[in-house]
Amino acid sequence: MDSNQVIIIKYIQDNLLTGKGEIELTPEDDLLGSGLLDSMGVMRLVGFVEETFHIKIPPEDIVIENFMDVKAITNYVECQHVDNEPSPQ
Amino acid sequence: MNQALNNLSYLTQSQLLIWTGQQLSPNVPLYNSPFTFELAGEINVSHFQTAFQILIDKSDSMRTVFESINDIPQTKLLDSVSYKVELLDFSKEKDSNEQFQTWLNERMKKSFELSKPLFDSVLINMPDNKFTWYFNQHHLICDASGVAVLYKVFTKIYRRLAEGATTTDIKIPLFQNYVEYEKTNRLNLKNAATKAYWEEKLQSVPNNLKLYGKSVEKNTTFSKRVSLPLGKQRTEKLLEIAKEKDFRLLNSQLTLFNIFASVLSVYLARISNEQNNIAFGTPVHNRSTPDFKETPGLFIEFFPFTTEIKNEDTFVSLFKRVSNKTYEFLRNAQPGASSPKLNRAFNVVLNYIITDFPDFNGIPCEAVWHHPDHSDSGHYLRLHVYNDNSDSIKLYFDLNLAVFSEKMFDTVPNHFLKLLDAFIENPHQSIGQASLLSEAEFQQIVIDFNNHKEVENKHVLELFQIQVLKNPEKTAVSDKTQKLTYADLDEKSNQLANYLIEKEITAGKRVAIYLNRSVDLIISILATFKAGCAYVPIAANNPRGRVADRIKESQAAIVLSNSSLAADIDDLQVPVLRLDADWHRIKEHKTANPDKMIMPEALAYIMFTSGSTGQPKGVQISHLALANYINWAGKEYGITDQATFPLFTTIDFDLTVTSIFVPLTFGASIIIYEESKTGPDLAIFDVIEDNRADVIKLTPSHLGLLKERDLKNSRLRTMIVGGEDFKRDLAESIVESFHHEIAIYNEYGPTEATVGCIVHRYDLSNDLSNSVPIGKPIANMLAYILDENLNPVPQGGVGKLFISGDGLSVGYWNDKELTEQRFLTNPFQPETKIYDTGDLARLNSEAQIEYLGRKDQQVKIGGIRIELGEIESALSKHAGIKDCVVEMINGKRSVSVESVTNCIRCGLPSNYPQVEFDEKGVCNYCLSFEHYRQNAQKYFKAPADLQKLLDNVKVERKGEYDCLVLLSGGKDSTYALAKLVGMGVSVLAFTLDNGYISESAKANIRRVVNVLGVDHVFGETPAMNEIFVDSLKRYSNVCNGCFKTIYTLSTQVAFNKKIPFIVTGLSRGQFFETRLTEELFWKDDIATIDKTILEARKSYHRVDDAVKRLLDTSIFNEDSVFEKVQFLDFYRFVDVDFEEMMNYLDKHLPWIRPSDTGRSTNCLINQVGIYVHKKERGYSNYAFPYSWDVRMGHKTREVSLDEINEEIDENEVTRILGEIGYSSKDVNTDKNLVAYYIADAEISTSDLRNSLKNYLPDYMIPTYFKQMESFPLTDNGKVDRKALRNLAVISKEVNTDYVAPETEFEKMLSEIWSEVLQIGKPGVHDNFLEIGGNSLAAIRITSRVNNAFDLELPVNIVFESSTISQLADHIEKSISMMLAELNR
Repeated sequence: MDSNQVIIIKYIQDNLLTGKGEIELTPEDDLLGSGLLDSMGVMRLVGFVEETFHIKIPPEDIVIENFMDVKAITNYVECQHVDNEPSPQ
Repeated sequence: MNQALNNLSYLTQSQLLIWTGQQLSPNVPLYNSPFTFELAGEINVSHFQTAFQILIDKSDSMRTVFESINDIPQTKLLDSVSYKVELLDFSKEKDSNEQFQTWLNERMKKSFELSKPLFDSVLINMPDNKFTWYFNQHHLICDASGVAVLYKVFTKIYRRLAEGATTTDIKIPLFQNYVEYEKTNRLNLKNAATKAYWEEKLQSVPNNLKLYGKSVEKNTTFSKRVSLPLGKQRTEKLLEIAKEKDFRLLNSQLTLFNIFASVLSVYLARISNEQNNIAFGTPVHNRSTPDFKETPGLFIEFFPFTTEIKNEDTFVSLFKRVSNKTYEFLRNAQPGASSPKLNRAFNVVLNYIITDFPDFNGIPCEAVWHHPDHSDSGHYLRLHVYNDNSDSIKLYFDLNLAVFSEKMFDTVPNHFLKLLDAFIENPHQSIGQASLLSEAEFQQIVIDFNNHKEVENKHVLELFQIQVLKNPEKTAVSDKTQKLTYADLDEKSNQLANYLIEKEITAGKRVAIYLNRSVDLIISILATFKAGCAYVPIAANNPRGRVADRIKESQAAIVLSNSSLAADIDDLQVPVLRLDADWHRIKEHKTANPDKMIMPEALAYIMFTSGSTGQPKGVQISHLALANYINWAGKEYGITDQATFPLFTTIDFDLTVTSIFVPLTFGASIIIYEESKTGPDLAIFDVIEDNRADVIKLTPSHLGLLKERDLKNSRLRTMIVGGEDFKRDLAESIVESFHHEIAIYNEYGPTEATVGCIVHRYDLSNDLSNSVPIGKPIANMLAYILDENLNPVPQGGVGKLFISGDGLSVGYWNDKELTEQRFLTNPFQPETKIYDTGDLARLNSEAQIEYLGRKDQQVKIGGIRIELGEIESALSKHAGIKDCVVEMINGKRSVSVESVTNCIRCGLPSNYPQVEFDEKGVCNYCLSFEHYRQNAQKYFKAPADLQKLLDNVKVERKGEYDCLVLLSGGKDSTYALAKLVGMGVSVLAFTLDNGYISESAKANIRRVVNVLGVDHVFGETPAMNEIFVDSLKRYSNVCNGCFKTIYTLSTQVAFNKKIPFIVTGLSRGQFFETRLTEELFWKDDIATIDKTILEARKSYHRVDDAVKRLLDTSIFNEDSVFEKVQFLDFYRFVDVDFEEMMNYLDKHLPWIRPSDTGRSTNCLINQVGIYVHKKERGYSNYAFPYSWDVRMGHKTREVSLDEINEEIDENEVTRILGEIGYSSKDVNTDKNLVAYYIADAEISTSDLRNSLKNYLPDYMIPTYFKQMESFPLTDNGKVDRKALRNLAVISKEVNTDYVAPETEFEKMLSEIWSEVLQIGKPGVHDNFLEIGGNSLAAIRITSRVNNAFDLELPVNIVFESSTISQLADHIEKSISMMLAELNR
């Protein structure tokens, strides 16, 4: 698990899954289809991701493909960083 | 029990709102949330009761009560609540269901005492071994999801008891955890961005949706719930669509919410006054964690949801926009972020509820949510989408009874369903395509409403001839000089007609009638008809140019006029017949009727109307159309041959058609009141004084003039009012001023639909809205209220008014394009046309049309639509207001940025105030400068003069320096400094560091003073930013504030260091910008000019502004400072051209042209000033000084234009504005609302504002209030709104009465002020400074006054006697003193 995944999983467990007991969330666990996160939960997560990774997530990017699991989210975040910063020569 | 929680008193935002709502309506069950659960099976009553007690013990929300200590609400958690579920038995009753319903209806309305447990639980035995559980909670402790949570955990407890198992392991999470969470979130300002988001939303949210056009007079909590189950098929289809690609979002619930939000938005746009910006409230559930999802209690929190709707939207495109808005909404709808203000920002609610109630321990359960017949009085409409995961989604509409009458109970769900079905049928269709109306509604408002056929309509000439036969000796028409009987009139008009026919002026031709109101006018009109022609009326008081235009445009074959008027048109190539002088020629013609056949479609007249575009258009009216109106009007108004009409209104306004033809066709008499030769046409007063008329046609503005007249002896019995919105207040007061019954008809009709096409007889007791309704269409006329897509708007809704029928004009004279644009194919009868009136209207509940103003007069502020009429109504509720008009004015002045041209010589833009170009495109400044250029040269001196002056100083030098040089770092001041040093003068250089001096300029300054070896100081002040803000507000630029700071600080330095001269580097162009005016050179006297400029300087430093307030300006209190420190303008003595200056700087000094400001200035904030000035006034503040530089030959026109039109970096501007504390919202790009009112006593602006706040949102409250003695009227007798807009309304409070100048002195001064201050009509009590005066203007005014009256008033007189009235007084006194001196 890469560090971004750890950060996101920790946020979800601490803020959006309180009360779910000791469930282990893996980067591949389905967040949406399972109903683990509802729309409000996703938007809280969007806020967290934007602030933590200094990116802006436009509404058109808030789609299942980018938020279905933690892995998808971190992939999305990394793509944003590549797009935004020129790669070092 | 956790004692620590016991005394917590904090209320969440939602609790606080509900608590407050309950306080406002005590004992009203508006927050009761009653549910019944029908349980189809046997219940163990004792287990049930025990389980319920356990539920209470385990759930803190069930034990929460509310107390108010010193009016501050506190929550209190009760340690224990001992409660036994009440048992009832309806199973034995014969009509048990009805009995139960009766009981339920009463029970659910029982209100809770907030300090006691806030729930009510009853188990009812129903027939067939069924049970019903009644469970009601106060909203303070529950929401819909919370009820489901309780139900589920209650079921679990009951099951355990039934199984004989323990319940101790069942835990209900505490609501108090959420309270803590909400409190932390609310207080911890992590959500600063969120706060800002909602603040911003509050500014822009369009509230006050008027549903079906209904304004609420008195709020009520009463509301009716109407259920609408969508059914299986519709629900299935919706769920299918939700899965389609276009609608796929994170989850299907989100999709469904957005679908309902989109359809609701469309629905609201279609039935309300707001068609493009929709706002409604919607709750967020706030159950963000699994724990919260299992906690009973009140979690939901309401926020306003807004969306924009575009006319071209399809459901899909709207859905996309709504979905994005929902993301934005959800990101910002943080727990605790709501507020009472945010909750008042909407009056419609969308509540999307997902919940389910599974079996009760194996017993099938059907849950029903009941409505206690009350809800929040601010929620006019609530739509609950109740999705309980069954196969049918249920919609509940809660309809507030202040808005919805019983008639509407089915209409609302039906209209909504029409749109939902349209969406389901084809989401790709335009949102405007589907009709809302049911067949019955269509029949009622489109067909039946317009069904008044009248078959026989004789044309007017035929009717006139009948009267001639019937009453030949009766007086038909009289004016001051003559009186004609019907027979006389017939004869004379026959003679004239025969004359015309002889001149081959006959069928198909037009006859222009350019006459005063007179008997000749009537003869001319009738003769025109008899010759088979159409008349074109041109009133005698039209400007000459307009008369000529009308005659030319209408291609008239002849002009019928009289000797005095004919002189105006003798140069036109059209024959003119003077009815007075040429009568002897007419008289020779036969008196027999030419008996020309008149076809119904033949033109009767062409009436020119100015219309909203300002471009006059000729409306062609046929005999058929005219006949339709006249026949109807005569009958409707009960006109007999006993009636007398006054003819006193202007003849080229179609209102007057009534007063001409109705009497002539029904055998009545006309008394003609001629227009006055000078001044406004106030013949209405003659009519009233004369008191011979019993029927009158007039405008509401005419009525306004009569308001306080004693009319008890008036003969008037019938009043036909038309031409303008007719306010109910006015109608009421007119009725009251008569002592007998008076019939008042409100007639509506654009010229294009012939005089009047919709009418209503005013009814004192039943007409209660702000304006008198315009009523129903007249015979053979049809009226439709349609939306943008030409769909009929449902009854109550606002739409555009379209007219069809026999009275319709055939179109505009010689303007096919405009005709096609305004006369469209009637969608309901495609073989006919409808005319687009451009007026807004609604059909009220009495099926009367109400006029709501012109669509093109609708104004928007910040994108929100404003109805000026609504503000007028609200304002007239103030007891002191007798009449009012609200207008929108553009910015501080009328700014037109489009089609700006520039003077071909100096480049001055055409939107510079009051600039005028000659036919070659040369501005008036260039032209007039030609005349005084020579004289102006005398103002300039030679370098030797400067040398001499400074040499003298050296002798008397008291301090260390001979002069202080203002060094900005630019080329001009640097050159001046170097030259002065070269003259051997001891110099101190001074630079103001305003915080925005560019680095390169500072570097230049340091290098230059180093090389030249002069001492240098930077002046600065902590008040600089405040001065900038003040300057922006006053002058829309930063330079004025900056310059004054420079002069103030440098004078202090010079004064303290005993330096006698301050040398400026102002260019010669700048002299003319700031101090030299044309007036100064009227006299060949340079000494007086210097004196005047010094006077102006004194006044300048004494003007109360930020500089005076924030800097120490005490030295200016004494005149002596102006002697001790004198100003010298270097370039008054030295004339050097650009090339030469740059060469010198290059050669001798380490001076580098600045590059980091992006322009040829040293100051970074400069562009901010230019930006604001351009936004607010339409042109750069450099436009005028640069034009002078060009005129003086120091700059080319091209360079000047390049610099003026340079691109400005808006981001940088916004940044700097933020830095100095000037909100970019303050930039007055937008418009201001101005209320003009008539009142007996003075009313303070704050009083008016406070009164308006009761009815209007902040953005609708006018910025300015102006009291008037009366309103200016147009020639047609309507309020002249354009004239109102031109009144002096500039940046300051305009709460001075507009009082027109009266005395000769006042009139003259008023003209001078108007020219110098560039305002339309200064009132005699307007303050010089408040309406934009400054010292330059003071120079100009005093110079002109002195010149005109041969006086020698000082400049500061304008500041001392600061109104026209005071100044006039002063002048009068000065002159009489002078005269007295002379006579001594």
